[in-house]
Amino acid sequence: MNDTQTVEAGSKIQVRNLDFYYGKFRALKDVSLDIAKNHVTAFIGPSGCGKSTLLRTLNRMYELYPDQRATGEILLDGKNILTPRMDLYRLRARVGMVFQKPTPFPMTIYENIAFGVRLYERLKKSTMDDRVESALRQSALWDEVKDKLKQSGMSLSGGQQQRLCIARAIAVKPEVLLLDEPASALDPISTLKIEELIYELKNNYTIVIVTHNMQQAARVSDHTAFMYLGELVEFGDTNGIFTNPSQKQTEDYITGRYG
Amino acid sequence: MESIHTHISRQFNAELEEIRSRVLEMGGLVEQQIDQAIHALVKGDVALAEELVKNDYKVNKLEVTIDEECNQIIARRQPTAGDLRLVVAVIKTITDLERMGDEAEKIARMAMRLAGEERPKNNYMEIQALGNHVRQMLHDALDAFARVDMEAALRVAREDEQVDQEYDGVLRQLITYMMEDPRTISRMLNVIWAARALERIGDHACNIGEYVIYLVKGKDVRHTSLEQIEKEILGKNP
Amino acid sequence: MADASGSNWRYRRRRILNVFNLTGSVIATGFGLFWLVWILWTTLSAGAAAIDWTLFTENTPAPGGRGGLANAIVGSLIMVGLATVIGTPIGIFAGTWLAEFGRKKPVAAVIRFINDILLSAPSIIMGLFVYELVVVTTRQFSGIAGALALAIILLPVVIRTTEEMLRLVPNSLREAALALGAPRWKVITLIAYRAALSGVLTGVLLGVARIAGETAPLLFTALNNQFWSTDITGPMANLPVVIFQFAMSPYAEWHTLAWAGALLITLSVLALSIIARTLLRQPKMD
Repeated sequence: MNDTQTVEAGSKIQVRNLDFYYGKFRALKDVSLDIAKNHVTAFIGPSGCGKSTLLRTLNRMYELYPDQRATGEILLDGKNILTPRMDLYRLRARVGMVFQKPTPFPMTIYENIAFGVRLYERLKKSTMDDRVESALRQSALWDEVKDKLKQSGMSLSGGQQQRLCIARAIAVKPEVLLLDEPASALDPISTLKIEELIYELKNNYTIVIVTHNMQQAARVSDHTAFMYLGELVEFGDTNGIFTNPSQKQTEDYITGRYG
Repeated sequence: MESIHTHISRQFNAELEEIRSRVLEMGGLVEQQIDQAIHALVKGDVALAEELVKNDYKVNKLEVTIDEECNQIIARRQPTAGDLRLVVAVIKTITDLERMGDEAEKIARMAMRLAGEERPKNNYMEIQALGNHVRQMLHDALDAFARVDMEAALRVAREDEQVDQEYDGVLRQLITYMMEDPRTISRMLNVIWAARALERIGDHACNIGEYVIYLVKGKDVRHTSLEQIEKEILGKNP
Repeated sequence: MADASGSNWRYRRRRILNVFNLTGSVIATGFGLFWLVWILWTTLSAGAAAIDWTLFTENTPAPGGRGGLANAIVGSLIMVGLATVIGTPIGIFAGTWLAEFGRKKPVAAVIRFINDILLSAPSIIMGLFVYELVVVTTRQFSGIAGALALAIILLPVVIRTTEEMLRLVPNSLREAALALGAPRWKVITLIAYRAALSGVLTGVLLGVARIAGETAPLLFTALNNQFWSTDITGPMANLPVVIFQFAMSPYAEWHTLAWAGALLITLSVLALSIIARTLLRQPKMD
């Protein structure tokens, strides 16, 4: 059933035999796949298939909740991140996450971005200014906010807030960006801007995106994983998946015959 | 394989079914045209030939209609996987069918010219034989499309080679006639054009067979050899 | 389709019901407001008579004499201030624990339950408790005992509002901070507190407004002091007890001073409420 491919560009993250439990409920069943470096990988599937769960194991976000646990291996550059000895803060510095709902901190735009950086580095003001500007430029927000860096982050529009969250995640210079339905709360134009942003970002970051919008996955990703009821049904090149999937389940879901 | 399940969107399902049946309708029409053309030429039936030329517009109109419907499906439905391949296959098939219709019209014109001439002893038997063969190819190709039948598609691909050989044989025969009796040259030339039109129809039918393979397997087998096609189809069958 | 006469009857009945309920609500509101306005008006008019700067410069007078409320004001300020200083940090920490770490633990549910009981318990019980614990053992009424009693009354209010306000902060905000690699304590102090700040401050202010007027616990912890004293180890003057004492006396000057004291307390509570409201009105996150 699994169609794992080792991608030529080199894989950044390797998931091996991953199981995930919410209490007694087994939400992920023996999932294995490779996330290619500097490519965009999309997880698609119907509600409850486990795609968000899988995404959140990649930065161990589930640690916040005591009854959730993962077994198996997730190798980031060869090192298993599921061991207890893994430094969670270092992990999250390398693997950043942007959520579905834009969540600017209740601070100025400048502070929003500086917050993450200050967790790890002590920078002079001028260096910090550069860092903030660089992050905002990379997320295509600089031109819109450069005159109002001292304004509250919550005064921005929805699409701008989400780009602010992306800038915030980028500012700490991660290697991997996890995007959990980043555009689903946004209007169509903002969505397209975010997609364009993803396209530019993938040159420097490995990106994993969860989306319930199949066309978005088709537009944005290089590789696509289709999940159903906690299992990885099919994983491969996006072109192949959307023109000639090898599993009937995948075909049914993609063409809208699912259900 | 196309799924037998229906779409959640019944409207979309209906649209896909619509273009499928339209293509088959167009194919049936073209098959009929070819049949009539051969008949007109062999029997010297001018009236039939004229009727055929008049009716060519029907085939063209169908091509335009189906093309438009396909465009709308792409714009509004963003089809993927099997649905996408179906739409693409339909667009390509109607082009080939329309060309076949044009070739049939050419044969009809030749028939009108030859009708007034002296009839040969064998009553254009070679044209009849070639024509039957080619018509069978189209029939098989449409069958393959209708039933999504890979075996039929393979048969079409195999027959194309035979048709090419048969056409070569007809040419040689006709050249012999022309060399024997130069007065028959102008007449024989018309027969040659008709034979050539039939050979072209065979090629188009072969193309349709390749589209069916693309539809089913997702593999583009145009411009590949027969051996490769066979491997593609039979190699994957148990 | 429906016959005209039937729908008409239904419609009229609805209108009558509407008017009846509307009138009833207006009357009830008026009734409630009437008493409130009367109380406020009485306080204002009776107390205003004594407002001049001597109120703030002279101490409580001997029976029949003239004077001010200086020592009572200062005493109240000291005790309420001390109570706030004692009660607020404990309350905020406890509320934080309940909101951040005690979501699913059963012991947290028990603590919340006890807190709710304390919240609505009669304040005289706190006074009695501190009386037994401090006044009897030190054999002395004292300002610190009064402050302690007030702190115990303030505590549940702060705990409750802190917890509620922190709970209002969406988890998505915490997750966003965690995803950046922030340790738990930074998520709480730098993010959650910042988001809940106005709400928590409001809770503190409302708690202070409450204890500013508490009389019963002070009656037998701080007692009262006729003279100026800022010594918290001894009895301390305070507005509520002074009002109690002066109001029940037969002296007219004392009555006036009592009304003045009541007016002062009312105005302070009003000021605190207004500040609390403007704080809350600041743009919060949705």
